[in-house]
Amino acid sequence: MMQTNIDVKNTPKIHVQKDFLVVEQLSLQLENNPILNNISFSLPITGITTLIGPSGAGKSSLLRCLNMLYSTWGGEITIDKTSIKQWQAGEDNLRKFIGLIAQKPAIFPASIAENVTFGLPRKQRKQDTTTLIHDCLIQAALWDEVKDRLNQPAVSLSIGQQQRLCLARALALQPSILLLDEPTASLDPRSKQLIEISLRRLAKNMPILCVTHDLEQAKRLQGQLIFMCDGKIIETGESQELLQNPQKLETREFLRWEVCDCD
Amino acid sequence: MKIILIMFAIPAILLPAACVLYIFYQAMPALNLSLIFGSDISVVGVNSIGQSILPQITGSLLLMALACFIALPIAFSIALFHAFWASQNHKKLLMTLLQMLQGIPPIVYGLCGLIVFVHTLQWGISLLTGSVILAIIILPLLSNSLIHAFARIPREQTDAALSLGLSKLNVIIRIWLPASWSNILTGLLLSMARALSETAPILFTATVFSGITWPDSIFSPVTSLQTHIFYLAQEGSNIQAIHTAWASAATLLLLVLCFSLMAGYLRRYDTT
Amino acid sequence: MLMLRPSMLASFVWLGCLTAAFSIAVLLWFLWDNAWLFFQQFGIQTLWLDEWYPYENLYGFLPAITGTAWALLIALLIAIPCGLAAAIVSSEIVSSTWQAWIRLSMEVLAGIPSVVYGLIGLWLLLPLLQSQLNLLTGHSLLAAGLILSLMILPTIMLMAQDALQGVAPEQREAAKLLGLNWNQQLLRILLPQAWPGIRSGILLAVGRGLGETMAVMLVVGSLDRMPQPFYNILEPAQTLTSRIGREMGEAAFGSLHFSALMACGLILAIVAVFFSFSAQKMRPST
Repeated sequence: MMQTNIDVKNTPKIHVQKDFLVVEQLSLQLENNPILNNISFSLPITGITTLIGPSGAGKSSLLRCLNMLYSTWGGEITIDKTSIKQWQAGEDNLRKFIGLIAQKPAIFPASIAENVTFGLPRKQRKQDTTTLIHDCLIQAALWDEVKDRLNQPAVSLSIGQQQRLCLARALALQPSILLLDEPTASLDPRSKQLIEISLRRLAKNMPILCVTHDLEQAKRLQGQLIFMCDGKIIETGESQELLQNPQKLETREFLRWEVCDCD
Repeated sequence: MKIILIMFAIPAILLPAACVLYIFYQAMPALNLSLIFGSDISVVGVNSIGQSILPQITGSLLLMALACFIALPIAFSIALFHAFWASQNHKKLLMTLLQMLQGIPPIVYGLCGLIVFVHTLQWGISLLTGSVILAIIILPLLSNSLIHAFARIPREQTDAALSLGLSKLNVIIRIWLPASWSNILTGLLLSMARALSETAPILFTATVFSGITWPDSIFSPVTSLQTHIFYLAQEGSNIQAIHTAWASAATLLLLVLCFSLMAGYLRRYDTT
Repeated sequence: MLMLRPSMLASFVWLGCLTAAFSIAVLLWFLWDNAWLFFQQFGIQTLWLDEWYPYENLYGFLPAITGTAWALLIALLIAIPCGLAAAIVSSEIVSSTWQAWIRLSMEVLAGIPSVVYGLIGLWLLLPLLQSQLNLLTGHSLLAAGLILSLMILPTIMLMAQDALQGVAPEQREAAKLLGLNWNQQLLRILLPQAWPGIRSGILLAVGRGLGETMAVMLVVGSLDRMPQPFYNILEPAQTLTSRIGREMGEAAFGSLHFSALMACGLILAIVAVFFSFSAQKMRPST
């Protein structure tokens, strides 16, 4: 696991030499409602970062900003020192670079295999994709369950399988960053476990930002932990440490009651 | 109470069937093959009677096809603007505008079209003028149905496809069109039926009574079934003309119903 | 952002939207400009003058406005009770098979082109009126109203049926549990809750009836004279649409006559847009 020197007490801003994705003073308004307020954090080049907070804290909106699904934000987001608003090849290319897995799996009406290769350019799709499909499904811990029926419609899969298919679909593009929006919120324990295992494996090679409101999961995933509430970052730290010894009142309250009152 | 209601409802329930049956009953004498392919029996003094109504049918279909051909890309661009670029306020404004345009009676578009296209732009009474006016008339209907067709696609699907790095064009081609083709087709069929049944706006802007079998160019006038019925209906003294009018009405009705019932079938097929 | 990297799609969308906006703006501007010219010359009082002789430069709108109002009123008086009753019967009384058939037949009725209605009016309704009421030709506002009622019936009926079926089943059940009989259920639960939908159906029908041209034009008689007395609906008369339809072909382009027709069109457009707007505003948000 990548070690990061985080100054927990003074500032939520982190500056590490090897920061891969840096968010600085990000704020977002939608329909005149402030959603995000002065968010700053960074992701190291490998490892899991977990984002916890009560619902409505702006976690999903933050992910959508990173992916340019919302583009009206202010502040600065850079990947490897390049601002994502000035991404040379356009935002479509940026999104291939960042994999996003939504809370609710959105499966396209096509076969399982076609779903995995859905994001690839046409030329690549026409070539032999068997190994790619195999690799991605293995990484997403889905291969054993679907290897006999790759050409069947993907909608026949259970929700847990669909979610892992979404993961495989994102991995097929070989993204450099993975963003997950409560990937296990509506899943059975078995699927949850499988996804967490594959996430820990993937985190050895790429930065992963995982949103969750499940404290147990945050504990299991380890790595960096960011606690967000009401559009602001309240506290940042190493997962084990922050969960056992939170500094801020709001964090303590959330850890005990899973509610948060930031005003 | 129930009895009174049923008494009131009976005319409303029986009239549609009665209307359609009456039209076909009246059309019987003239509804035969010579209506389509022409015959030698022509009545002295009134031209075009006893002749085939094939030119009228092609004229109507040409007007309709050209109108849809013009309106479809524009409606698509409006729907895509609504889906991708419009803010909440823009959307509200756009829907209000479409509502307004749909509310304006077709004859007013005809009147404006007469001034702008026929006189100011010097297109004359022509196929082009008629199709452009019809295109403007069906535009709100078509855009509305496209907007609704796209709005029914789950948001998650679009987001997921965008997150995979697909461009907007790719999202449209690979997600939206496969998911909403039946809704789009329904809207298109309804617009076609509408374009086919509008008469007043093309009466003085696109059509002549007779003499055109196939328009030479888009700047030449056409004949159409709708206006043919109108002209013939007023030939009060000529029994043959009236028969042809009824037969044309039956043909037009069949064409329109063909489109609108297909649309209704598709809508039902889609909801099940 | 869009302006920085105009892709093919974006250019297509902008081109389409601008074309639509531009052509519609041009049309409406011409309408407004010509009508404005007319009102500048004759003043707003032409709206209630009752002489229309284009060749003597007399342009009074009152006969046509009265005619339009009468035709619409007759149509509504017939179509609202019948349409509503049909909607109630089809959604509350008969079986679902019948309901589907009634709905289909209403869609057929809505699909009949207006010129075909004109034909029916001219060759079925007028002779009937002529023989039954001893009229000279049958051309009358009554005939126009009857034909119009047939044309707006589907709109009212289909909207009312949708509104009635939109009432939640729990509501019906609750009414039954309270021991309300069928009439009470209808009058106290179903109709009040469906009323917004029914009302916007009626307003839409008014908008459609206002703009109907061909059918009205063929049966109304096109006589530019005030009905004498004003409630006489058995004589030939004129409506705004039939006037435009009849005189559009003969008015010389650029003449005052043509401007007067444009003014008719403007009045028609404004009133029709008003009704379709109110139908939209009052529609229940579903």
